[in-house]
Amino acid sequence: MNGGLDDLLAAGRARQSRRFRHASTCAVVLGFAAVSLLGVSGWFIAASAAAGAGGVAVAAAFNYMLPSAAIRLLAIARTAARYGERLIGHDAALRTLASVRPALFAAIAATTPGRALAVASGEASTALVQDVQAVELQLAQRSALAGAGAAAVSGVGLAALASGAAALWTLACLAGLLLAAGRLSARAATTAVAVRAATGALKAQLAFLESSQVELRCYALEGWAGETAGRCSAALDLAQRRHAAALALFEFVQAGAIGLAAGGALWLARGAGVPLAALAGLAAAMTIDGAAPLLRALAHRGVANEARRRLDDLLTPALPFTLAAVRATRPEIVLSAPIAARLAPGARVAVTGPSGCGKTTLVETLMGLREAAPGALRIDGRDAAGLCLAALRDTFAWLPQDASLVAGTVRDNLLLAGQADDAALWQALSDASLDQRVRELPQGLDTWIGEDGARLSGGERRRLALARALLRDAPWLLLDEPTAGLDDRTESAVLRGLKARLDVTGQGLIVVTHRVAVVALCDRVLAFELAPPGAARIDRAA
Amino acid sequence: MAHAAPLPDPATRFLAAATDGVRGVPVSSALLVADAGAAIGFAGGLAGALQALFTQRSPAGWLAMALLCAVLRGLCALLAARVGARCAEAVRAGMRLRVVAAALDRPAGVRHADDAAASLLSVAVDEVDAIDGYVARFLPARRAAAIAPLLVLAAAAVASPISALVLALTFVPFVVLMAFTGMASAARSQRQFAALARLSGLFVDRLRALPVVLAFRAETRETRRLADAAAEVARRTVAVLRVAFLSSAVLEFFSALCVALVAVYAGFNLLGLLPFHVPERLNLGRAFFVLALAPEFYAPMRRLAAAYHDRSAALAAAARIEAFEGVPRAPVASSPSAGLRAPAIRFEAVAIRFEDEARDVVAGLSFELRPGRTLALLGPSGSGKTSVLRLLLGMAPLSAGRVLIDGEPLDERHGVAARAAWVGQTTLIVPGSLRHNLLLAAPGAEAHEVAAAIAGAGLGAALLRRAGGLEASLDERGGQLSGGERRRLALARALLKPSTVWLLDEPTAHLDHEAETALIATIASARAGRTTIIATHSERVAALADVVVRLGASS
Repeated sequence: MNGGLDDLLAAGRARQSRRFRHASTCAVVLGFAAVSLLGVSGWFIAASAAAGAGGVAVAAAFNYMLPSAAIRLLAIARTAARYGERLIGHDAALRTLASVRPALFAAIAATTPGRALAVASGEASTALVQDVQAVELQLAQRSALAGAGAAAVSGVGLAALASGAAALWTLACLAGLLLAAGRLSARAATTAVAVRAATGALKAQLAFLESSQVELRCYALEGWAGETAGRCSAALDLAQRRHAAALALFEFVQAGAIGLAAGGALWLARGAGVPLAALAGLAAAMTIDGAAPLLRALAHRGVANEARRRLDDLLTPALPFTLAAVRATRPEIVLSAPIAARLAPGARVAVTGPSGCGKTTLVETLMGLREAAPGALRIDGRDAAGLCLAALRDTFAWLPQDASLVAGTVRDNLLLAGQADDAALWQALSDASLDQRVRELPQGLDTWIGEDGARLSGGERRRLALARALLRDAPWLLLDEPTAGLDDRTESAVLRGLKARLDVTGQGLIVVTHRVAVVALCDRVLAFELAPPGAARIDRAA
Repeated sequence: MAHAAPLPDPATRFLAAATDGVRGVPVSSALLVADAGAAIGFAGGLAGALQALFTQRSPAGWLAMALLCAVLRGLCALLAARVGARCAEAVRAGMRLRVVAAALDRPAGVRHADDAAASLLSVAVDEVDAIDGYVARFLPARRAAAIAPLLVLAAAAVASPISALVLALTFVPFVVLMAFTGMASAARSQRQFAALARLSGLFVDRLRALPVVLAFRAETRETRRLADAAAEVARRTVAVLRVAFLSSAVLEFFSALCVALVAVYAGFNLLGLLPFHVPERLNLGRAFFVLALAPEFYAPMRRLAAAYHDRSAALAAAARIEAFEGVPRAPVASSPSAGLRAPAIRFEAVAIRFEDEARDVVAGLSFELRPGRTLALLGPSGSGKTSVLRLLLGMAPLSAGRVLIDGEPLDERHGVAARAAWVGQTTLIVPGSLRHNLLLAAPGAEAHEVAAAIAGAGLGAALLRRAGGLEASLDERGGQLSGGERRRLALARALLKPSTVWLLDEPTAHLDHEAETALIATIASARAGRTTIIATHSERVAALADVVVRLGASS
């Protein structure tokens, strides 16, 4: 997907163009009805007063049917139009974003691994979802312009019936209001950016404090930590206060404009008679009022545009397609850095070492989730830096250290590995020693695991992720701490199942672990040492 | 788009308790009521101007009043928003502090969780921010909506009691219809809630699971699933909105209805053509006045309805914050005087097991460490070395066995933190001078004590290299210091604090051979007179110890 966010949005909007048009039509009707309701009511009262003062005959001759009917009709029209505009407008926005979200996901998946993984962090993904919601709100407000335009046309038109000067005055007030709102909008955008920056700073500070918990405890610095957090929090509060003040000005400016418009129009139309002056005054007031949704959209514009910019940044063009693919069905792996090793197809290798010395980096590089340094890794004789990511990912079936299940049913999680029938699913679960547990679940394979559904324990989640890796048809299994958190009996069962499966499929195994039982399964041990880069590494044979 | 769902009472109680008695809320609602008053003035000004025109007088004075009232109205709205924002700020600040304090004092049984949704960052910042709108907008609007319409009604009654009666009579069907649509809307969104929550959570879930999705080359499949889910969300949300927007349509309708009814009544009254007898005869001014007031009768309700979403969002956030803060723990009994003597530490068949884990991290650990001696905990990663150290600080649970400090059971809440010092793989460094960083450990330390600590930790060389010496400023990450220097900084802190127990967690990790040797020598001399426990996997470091305990990988 090469297009930026605007292209995605335009494509989505085009599909919903009919709904957007209907929403705008409703907005136009609304604008007209809202202005006319008050205007005609005011005129009606003033005309009735004049007619009533003229005596019974004049009053009887007064055509009251038409205006009173019009008033009732306009009241209904206004209500229906507002309901229609809101509902259809939201519908159109929701459906547009419904097509943009998956496209956004696909585009992110197609960018460089580093960028894709940066989005996957908890904070970044939350921010992305908020940005998408901001864009959605902006789309729902699209009909505001049509509504304001219709209100302006009807209001100015009604005022013109009374006096050209009053009409021009109304127009001038409206223009002034929009100009002021434009400036306020720019200011609100700036304050919104400041709020976001302060939020980021506070989160960074809290993350820092959270990671230093032990020292805080030892040196009784919890109070100090609270104060530090409090200072960052105060900075955020200040930014939020400024933003709220910027937003509050919109209401003030609108109220002032209504006063100016109504008073001025009434004054300028005073020569046309009381009924027309009433019409002009109220029409002018409602014209300004009709611009309220547009003002709200302007207030939101800064936030929405920033969100669009950030989303656009994410959608860099996809990686260039590299030709090299892995041809052998059982490829050999040769590592040169950070450790030198040649792994023949079907080998079983344990990777050990303390945390933070490069094991995870190696795993990520093998999985194509991290750029490989040229020459560091060769698969099937080809340098990994020149292989396309698909090739790398087809070579390994991965069990990540944190299990990484998705929100869905057991089946959804297992089928992430590709199409498979139920028999294959149960076989994999059995090899991972999880079949009994899944049978006990309320809906078996179709039980939802996640926030609302059956919660699996840490060890069970790991075994499910293992079953998922087993299901994948890849020449190498790459398992990161497969038996962490399992008790001894379960661990033996899992390892038995794993060994049996490997004996049948002949897959190679690379397992990061510190458990003796797992190392015993392997023919070879790659031991990583806690030493700074550049030091020689040792490769011990078991 | 809010998905309203029945929320447990704790959330409502929590929210009410947190926002009770916030001082600015009555001020803000008073300002909103004043806004209604100004609206009455505006209506009066316009009406007076028209009446003046009708009677061939100059409307200038009345128009001036109208303009003034309009500006006043704007001011009231502006001030109400600002006061509301200040109140929200106060509530937010207090809540954030509580959340941070709760996070730093978490119950020991829970292992440091990585769950994004429950993380400190998300709760302390995002969730607390969601309470904002409730305090700033909803609470004042709710109060004002009870008072302002009465004010409008009273003003209308002054000009035309019948019109006021008409306005008041619309209130009964309004309440009935609102209740009806409200219930229908709640029922419908309740039906959709579970499905909507799951489906709309899919997008962020797949984003977070992107590494795995990429690794299994499931991008296409998951994109298709997301597309289906998103379309489903849109469909269901619109179904909910269809009914939810009816509530606001009812409000709109009655607002328009008031205008229409008053206009028709007043017009007919002025024409003298009413089909029934009424005890009042209006003039233009009074009729126009009630007409201009008619939209203002339901305006406070509309403001409240616009703020209603803030309430649902705040309740959802309150539920999450409340869950995060957890059960308050009993206050710790004041610990006996720490004493200046190094204690003896004794472990008897100690086991450590975290919640939601199938296996003890450490089991059956027993040793005796005499005062002032050093013990090394040897073992590969995952064998529980760090957990033992954390246990001594009250940050890991004691699942079985006993820990005795000088014969007294270990205080489970804080352990020996009061008299302990920590040197770990990462060192807490804050922006500021080197001196400031050192003094974090002992704020009242004298200059000669600082100098002694620096000498004992071998930081002298690092100081000489740096311009400014002690005053040299360090940044967030302490990037100016090398790995070894950071460990020495931690050692200096340990020396500065009057500590009798030293806990070292992999002190030579990531250091090259030379640096490791030097640091080992420094530790050997500095630890004199302190009971020291070192967690390490390096045999060279273990050589420092008087007692070596191997935590087996198979235990």
